[in-house]
Amino acid sequence: MSEPGSGGGLISGIEWRKPSIRWGMRTAHVLLLVGLVVIGLGPILWLAKSAITPTLDTISHPIALFPHGTAWSNVRQAWSDVHVGRYFWNTIVITFGSWAVQIVVATTGGFALSVLRPRYAPIIKGLLLATLFIPAIVLLVPLYIEIVQLPIVHKSLIDSYWSVWLPAGASAFNVILVTRFFDNLPREIFEAAEIDGAGPFQLFWRIVLPMSKPILGVVSIFALLASWKDFLWPLLVLTNPNKQPLSVRLPSIESQTSLGVFLAAMFIACLIPIAGFLLFQRSFLRGTGLGGAIKG
Amino acid sequence: MNTVDQPGGPALPSERGPSRSYATPRRTPLTWIRGGGLSAFLFLLPLLFVFGAFSWFPIVRTAIMSLQHTNFVQAPTWVGFQNFRAVWHDPLFPVAVRNTAYFALLALVFGYPIPLIAAVLMSEVRKRRGLYSMVAYLPVVIPPVVAVLLWKTFYDASATGVFNTALGWVGLGPYPWLQSQQWAMPSLVLESTWANAGATMIIYLAALTSVNPELYEAASVDGAQLLRKVWHITLPQIRGVLLVTLILQIIGTAQVFLEPYLFTSGGPANATLTVMLLIYNYAFGNSLGGDYGKATALSLMLAGSLAVFSLVYLRATRSWSTR
Amino acid sequence: MKSTRVAMIVAVGVLLAIGASTAAGSTRSGKKVTISVASLIPGSTQAAIKQFNAQVKEFEKRYPTIQVKPVEYQWTGPSFAAKLAARTLPTVFEVPFTDARTLGDRGQLANLTPYFKKLPYHNKYNNAVIAEGTDAKGQVVALPKGAYAQALHYNRALFKQAGLNPNKPPTTWAQIRTDARIISQKTGKPGYVEMAKDDNTAGWILTTLVYSLGGRMETGTGTHAKATLNNTYTIHALNMLKAMRWTDNSMGSNFDYGWSDINQAFAAGKVGMYISGSDVYTNLVQAYNVNPSTYGVTTIPLANNKKVGVLGGGTLAAVRPDAKKAQLAAAVKWLDFFYEQPLVSKKQAIRNAKTLVANKQPVGVPALPIFNRTQYNLANLWIKPYINVPVGQMKPFLNGIFKQKLIPEPEASTQSVYHALDAVVEAVLTNKNTDVVQMLKQANAEAQAAIRQGA
Repeated sequence: MSEPGSGGGLISGIEWRKPSIRWGMRTAHVLLLVGLVVIGLGPILWLAKSAITPTLDTISHPIALFPHGTAWSNVRQAWSDVHVGRYFWNTIVITFGSWAVQIVVATTGGFALSVLRPRYAPIIKGLLLATLFIPAIVLLVPLYIEIVQLPIVHKSLIDSYWSVWLPAGASAFNVILVTRFFDNLPREIFEAAEIDGAGPFQLFWRIVLPMSKPILGVVSIFALLASWKDFLWPLLVLTNPNKQPLSVRLPSIESQTSLGVFLAAMFIACLIPIAGFLLFQRSFLRGTGLGGAIKG
Repeated sequence: MNTVDQPGGPALPSERGPSRSYATPRRTPLTWIRGGGLSAFLFLLPLLFVFGAFSWFPIVRTAIMSLQHTNFVQAPTWVGFQNFRAVWHDPLFPVAVRNTAYFALLALVFGYPIPLIAAVLMSEVRKRRGLYSMVAYLPVVIPPVVAVLLWKTFYDASATGVFNTALGWVGLGPYPWLQSQQWAMPSLVLESTWANAGATMIIYLAALTSVNPELYEAASVDGAQLLRKVWHITLPQIRGVLLVTLILQIIGTAQVFLEPYLFTSGGPANATLTVMLLIYNYAFGNSLGGDYGKATALSLMLAGSLAVFSLVYLRATRSWSTR
Repeated sequence: MKSTRVAMIVAVGVLLAIGASTAAGSTRSGKKVTISVASLIPGSTQAAIKQFNAQVKEFEKRYPTIQVKPVEYQWTGPSFAAKLAARTLPTVFEVPFTDARTLGDRGQLANLTPYFKKLPYHNKYNNAVIAEGTDAKGQVVALPKGAYAQALHYNRALFKQAGLNPNKPPTTWAQIRTDARIISQKTGKPGYVEMAKDDNTAGWILTTLVYSLGGRMETGTGTHAKATLNNTYTIHALNMLKAMRWTDNSMGSNFDYGWSDINQAFAAGKVGMYISGSDVYTNLVQAYNVNPSTYGVTTIPLANNKKVGVLGGGTLAAVRPDAKKAQLAAAVKWLDFFYEQPLVSKKQAIRNAKTLVANKQPVGVPALPIFNRTQYNLANLWIKPYINVPVGQMKPFLNGIFKQKLIPEPEASTQSVYHALDAVVEAVLTNKNTDVVQMLKQANAEAQAAIRQGA
């Protein structure tokens, strides 16, 4: 993968020819790469190795490489006894639902605020901006009480995935991001579409959305990461073990599961994120390098 | 009859025409619908519903609950600022504040400059920069709970723990890690940095590579050395990103919950008790029922402090930015 | 317009989905009543789960109009509060002696008195035990599941390996200290470990130690009780721990053991001795498949003064206060069948024992009487042919426990008292220079404040 631009330029061509600079930088790069591999990859490789190592070996000789052979039974037990697959599926369902709600809220809201511009749009924008500065903990307790007993309907959303999906949609960051993006779309296209007889819904569906792929990609990545990192909220609202995602389930069975099996479960939990990352690196890294768009 | 899809459609702002700028027409529901009001409202419904129900209403409720004493059985009673006073006088409150500040400080010291230096080095890599990025970002992709539980295994304090074994090879240790009041917090920060530094590195890298190379060329022509170029060109150019990541990191680490909760439950002896964990304990720690008044009061205190800090920060950095 | 209509349909669909997927009331209209019941600890083995399901089947056969849904369950201080707030407790759930009365007073447990009076054995209960499940108004709000006394569990294999006689476990605290030192020196494993987690278990075990030395954590009852956490016996107990930890280095290097963690470590053969309830053998088998030959249990040594005793506690089973009448009746039937019948009915005791044995679950784990002594002896006699736990290895406990005075846990704000002590225990084990007197003073103030609030 190569970054756009000529790569830094911090060191000019002339400087590069100086041996001290060249070898100094090369050494630094090698050290950096080694450091990154050992520190970044090391723990994950250890996890992979220990997942198939008998528990006793992991406890007494944690860094040795299979002193008494492998223990694939760990993986089998992780799958069948610990039911890693089920919790993994729950994680996927939760992530997908949260993503969907966030996309719907951000695109429809952004469209209305940016393109349709009703009279009260500034009020809503102001509220959103204010929400941006309020950290999530402020919501926690009353949101929890609200989920336990919804006002008006007096039903409980506890143990329902909606209790995770719906609040996930309330991301002011997403809406503002999308609104700004829509603001930058060329108005001529809208006007042309209008002349052709497009109503707002067609404008949204046929014109704006297809043009929004870049920002939807960015929002999707943020949605994915946010859902991935979410721990406290699913811990509180998903009390039924059959509905819990991996992040909630794994800690609660730590004390009852033997170390080898537990590590195997943890490794299985890493497989798909790692695979997904390796496949989609480019969009990941580009999307999260968003900060590069902000200048002093 | 549905007035929304007349030929020509509801007018966009550019076409609302005279009915908005000059004459004062009678505003009836029909003119509202014809003016595109209904469709705008419909588009805003998901946002209004989701934010209203799951963001704005709870925020208001937090403020209300912080002034009440909530009992499970009876209706809540108003108690003024009693909850705030109770939190202020709780001996664990200063402990939590101190620990949170300590965590944020350590996280800054480790997690702020290191990714930057690494990113600067990475930006100069000519070939296969993608490899560096990939390896750096990998820990970020690991589910955070898995990362914590994995590091908990590493931090086994006996001589046969993973880290202690490795350090034993070079004659160091064994160290108590999570079993010591001094070592616990730095241990948490170490794992947190490992799990998050990659993301910051990528952000810095993107910013660095968008710096105009001509600036460097001009400086080189003037005879500037490497470090001077970094100090006088690189850092000012990516100032915006640096400032934003700094404040985001501070705000993020002020709300740290996962690491103290999973690693040490706030121990040993409250050495890793953070404000968020204290809020959680207020609300859910007592097996007979939680104290929501204190929990919401402390949430507001934390939010308020962060807001004040952000304002001060923005003002200070704005004056620096416009230099 | 089409998309508006679509939007409306989607909106209605969403609302319906919310309605359908929320937790519906568990009573179905018609003949069947459904109740959810607390079953096993999360992570229990398949065999344990099978055994429980077999019991559920038997119950449903006997009462065809009742359907029982097992829900995995473990009471811990922090998690119970969350379940209580979220209203996700099963219809029948369990609470420790420490909390039942207060929860009952607050209306968090259903009133079982009318059903209780109809139970044929309701007069046979041990008065102290049934009092734990009776609220301030005299209403019965929970039925006893089991009572335990604290015991010293030790690993016979490690004893042997260290050259100690596994049939002669320590009988004084000095001996515990010596044996712990020998084990850690000879086997490299910690000789004695103690719960020191922030979830009230650290305070629970410390209180046990203090009782065995002759101290008490409270005087008086209710919100007027006086906290006496910082008495001389507590300081003595903490100094004992300090000596074992720092001077002898016989407590290992990891200290964040909770109730489950310490069982896990013991079952894996990693620790020599620890204190916990006399009934943990069940958990050791159900969750960790412990090797029976390594298990030994004896009484906690008591010091030589009049106030010593062994901490006793227990678990009760209660019903949700919002259970409808049909559910409440069904729940009481489950309480009767699952919790009490094996102790009062010969047929049921034998049937129960057979099911447990068939699934390789332990029968005959030491328990304390919840009915009177006669009933207790009778029940033990019934299951004698089915006992599959190493009773011989449990003799030191069984022979000694009835000679010891049973002391109930601190009455007022028990969990808060324990919680206040958690930090002190952790500090002593992780910091050589802990100011024990100062920390105990703070802990005492904390506990006193909680007592006053009734928290």
